[in-house]
Amino acid sequence: MIQLRRLSYTYPGAATPVLRDLELEIEAGALALVVGASGAGKSTLLRCLNGLVPHFYGGVISGSVRVAGEDPIARGPRQMSRLVGMVFQDPETQFVVDTVEAELVFAMENHGYPQDVMGQRVEWVLGQLEIGHLRKRRISTLSGGEKQRVALASVLTLQPQVLVLDEPTSQLDPQAADEVLQALRALNRELGLTVVLSEHRLERVVGYADQIIYLPGDGGALAGPAREMLAQIDQAPPLATLGLALGWQPLPLTIEEARAHLGSPPSAPPQKTAPMPVAGEPEIVVRDLWHAYDGRPALRGVDLTVGQGEAVAIMGVNGSGKTTLLKHLVGLLRPARGDVQVRGLDTRHTPLEELIRTVGYVPQNPNALLFAETVREELAFTRANHGYPRDSLPPGLLEALGIERYLAHYPRDLSVGERQRVALGAILAAEPQIILLDEPTRGVDRLQKEALMRYLAHERAQGRTVIVSTHDVELVAETMDRLVILERGRVAEDGPTREVMARCPAYASQIGQLYGDPRYLTVGDLLGGRR
Amino acid sequence: MRHPLSWLIWAGCAAVLALMARHPLYLTLVVLATWLVYLGVARSSLMVASWRALLKLGLFIWLITIPFNALMIHQGRVVLFRLPAHWPLIGGPITLEAVLAGATAGYALWALLFIFAAFNLGVDAAQLLRLAPPFLYQAGVVTSIALTFIPQMLASAREIREAQRIRGHRFRGWRDSLPLVIPLLTTAFERAVQLAESMDARGFGGALTGMTPRYLARLRGMMVLSLLLFLIGMVAQIFWPHLAALAYLLIALAAAMLLYAFHRLGRSVRRSRYRRERWGAGDSAIALCSLAALAGALWLRYSNPAHMTYAPYTGGLLPAFHAPLGLLLTLLAVPGLIALAEPTPEGDALQDVAP
Repeated sequence: MIQLRRLSYTYPGAATPVLRDLELEIEAGALALVVGASGAGKSTLLRCLNGLVPHFYGGVISGSVRVAGEDPIARGPRQMSRLVGMVFQDPETQFVVDTVEAELVFAMENHGYPQDVMGQRVEWVLGQLEIGHLRKRRISTLSGGEKQRVALASVLTLQPQVLVLDEPTSQLDPQAADEVLQALRALNRELGLTVVLSEHRLERVVGYADQIIYLPGDGGALAGPAREMLAQIDQAPPLATLGLALGWQPLPLTIEEARAHLGSPPSAPPQKTAPMPVAGEPEIVVRDLWHAYDGRPALRGVDLTVGQGEAVAIMGVNGSGKTTLLKHLVGLLRPARGDVQVRGLDTRHTPLEELIRTVGYVPQNPNALLFAETVREELAFTRANHGYPRDSLPPGLLEALGIERYLAHYPRDLSVGERQRVALGAILAAEPQIILLDEPTRGVDRLQKEALMRYLAHERAQGRTVIVSTHDVELVAETMDRLVILERGRVAEDGPTREVMARCPAYASQIGQLYGDPRYLTVGDLLGGRR
Repeated sequence: MRHPLSWLIWAGCAAVLALMARHPLYLTLVVLATWLVYLGVARSSLMVASWRALLKLGLFIWLITIPFNALMIHQGRVVLFRLPAHWPLIGGPITLEAVLAGATAGYALWALLFIFAAFNLGVDAAQLLRLAPPFLYQAGVVTSIALTFIPQMLASAREIREAQRIRGHRFRGWRDSLPLVIPLLTTAFERAVQLAESMDARGFGGALTGMTPRYLARLRGMMVLSLLLFLIGMVAQIFWPHLAALAYLLIALAAAMLLYAFHRLGRSVRRSRYRRERWGAGDSAIALCSLAALAGALWLRYSNPAHMTYAPYTGGLLPAFHAPLGLLLTLLAVPGLIALAEPTPEGDALQDVAP
């Protein structure tokens, strides 16, 4: 179905090619997963399949691309759109019109389909993706998962043979991501559509994949059956890592497959569960906190006490109140009812300027923060605002974040993960005692995530308090010792990560789900130092 | 859901009637009919709260403008009280007639606002845009993008403002706006690029068919020429009033050329329209009733102009009521009755954007 021969591509103005002599073949009806570090060329490769590269981006391309017998380089994205449907990462930015039905027909109108065909296709696609109930809705009122399914439906109306998806679930919570992935799997199985998608969180999607395409970062690609490839790449999800270490054959891709191997006990004696670090003085006290946006309740009586030096994860589906709670802790929102105390200061009566001396909050979207010409200036801006000398920096900050190489770079040119770390630096340059992170691993690859985890460990060693709102169960299992689960604005669970994960499989790490035992959450718990 | 065209006809007829009938009783009938319509459509719209607020504001403005007419116009026989005659403008007798005339004029304007509110609740902007003729398709798409882009950018602006505040950003001079403006601009730009990609990948723009490059170049030349003519016409009309007729001719010619060019361009791109809105029996009923009300009122007005106007200064204080005309105006309530007879639509229930 898809054939790339000696494909090389260089972005305009770039010195080195992103793709170099790339060879790749994808069979008809396969579900292929594209993996690789940020900047390895995943998005570029996907955009070659419908001609957005080079038609939209310019640059220099050589070699050949064949998709369903056509040449996207010659035909361009408009003509390829009948053969290749493309869904993008951000559910917000790919919609043209305001209602679901109008969005579904947009592509067909552009291709001049007759009225009756459009009607039939709309009915078909609404049924296929089980979104009939959304038909008349405004897109702005949909949840993230619903939006991505509508985006999928809006390209399916042309009945393409290939679906290309660029990190379609990276902005979704695990449940919404599952909805989208299951819809994709059904399209792949029932209609025989060839699906090519990229994703950082391998643990989410690897169970669905037939083929893995790995971009090592040198411009080439390695491809093979999912099981074989997992043994070769450095980004394997925990389950595969464990399976490899314990010699499980065939290598399990899903929890169900792994259960078959469970007869053999873990080869290493269980690690003693690390005792909860004794929490110091309570630094944050939230009592009966309520908050509503224009009458819609977001927090409904939250109680939470966090002691000095604790590492607390806040999880919950989108809209459960995680971000609202974090904003209360830094004073961006003031309690409507109940109260919030940060190191003894009542946020209702304390100016924000005073609160931000002790609390650093890194918002979800690093783009909201970065404006300066260089990373160095970005850090200096925060330092100056907080009354420190402009060019001084807290010792160890750059090294811990791994951004010393980028000091002279323009922040917006960096990859998502690098930008995320610069944003962290821009907040932490103020040396806050309490660090609040909102979704720090969104769009961040495995290596960058590990750098972030190292940094958090470093900060905690210095007695700092860390609170992270996240969907990333593996991050929580590896680094956080306490887990709070919010449900519809209320605290549903609160306790040591190991216990909460054992109680709530929906929020457990892969290893936690597999064993259902509080002693085993990570590969490290099972194998000790032998990872 | 009714066809947007039938709504357009209803709103047009109701608005003309409200403007024609400077008469409190007829206006009240129009307002009551509109109220029924409003009740019928308000059940299925998210915008009710904002329109209700606007209507209240209109009511308030109406009430405070009544004294203006009374203070300025000193005609009429029923004198309420007198202000010293040497006071400029407002001095003199303050009459009941002036109060009533002012109230009636304000009433008509408020009725218009009410009709507009009901119309907007009944159809949304996107539906109306889809009625635009094919050669305006691109303009319609651009407008609809803008309609969704603006709220998104406002949300981004708020997010950026918050993010900079927690970095200790404060406003002291124009340079301090950079941390807010630059992220906003780059965010807008990135969004625009992603949207453009998504539109391209779904075949937007189509391929120009059956048009040679030479013909296309001629069409473009024609568009430039027509804009030039338009400009000359505008300038002529302003600076040489004695050539006004010629200026209008130029403007009309320019408009015709431009429309022709758009039309040709629109036809050369193969594209179709998806219209879910079917013209049903209800739509025919709405259109017929609205047009009948308007036509009947116009006929009555021409047969006897006194029927429709309420002239407190010259005629009696009590408005005369012509029953057939009143009956005609009740026809404007038909869309409301139809909407109320239908089951409450689901879907756009009271859900909103997640924060």
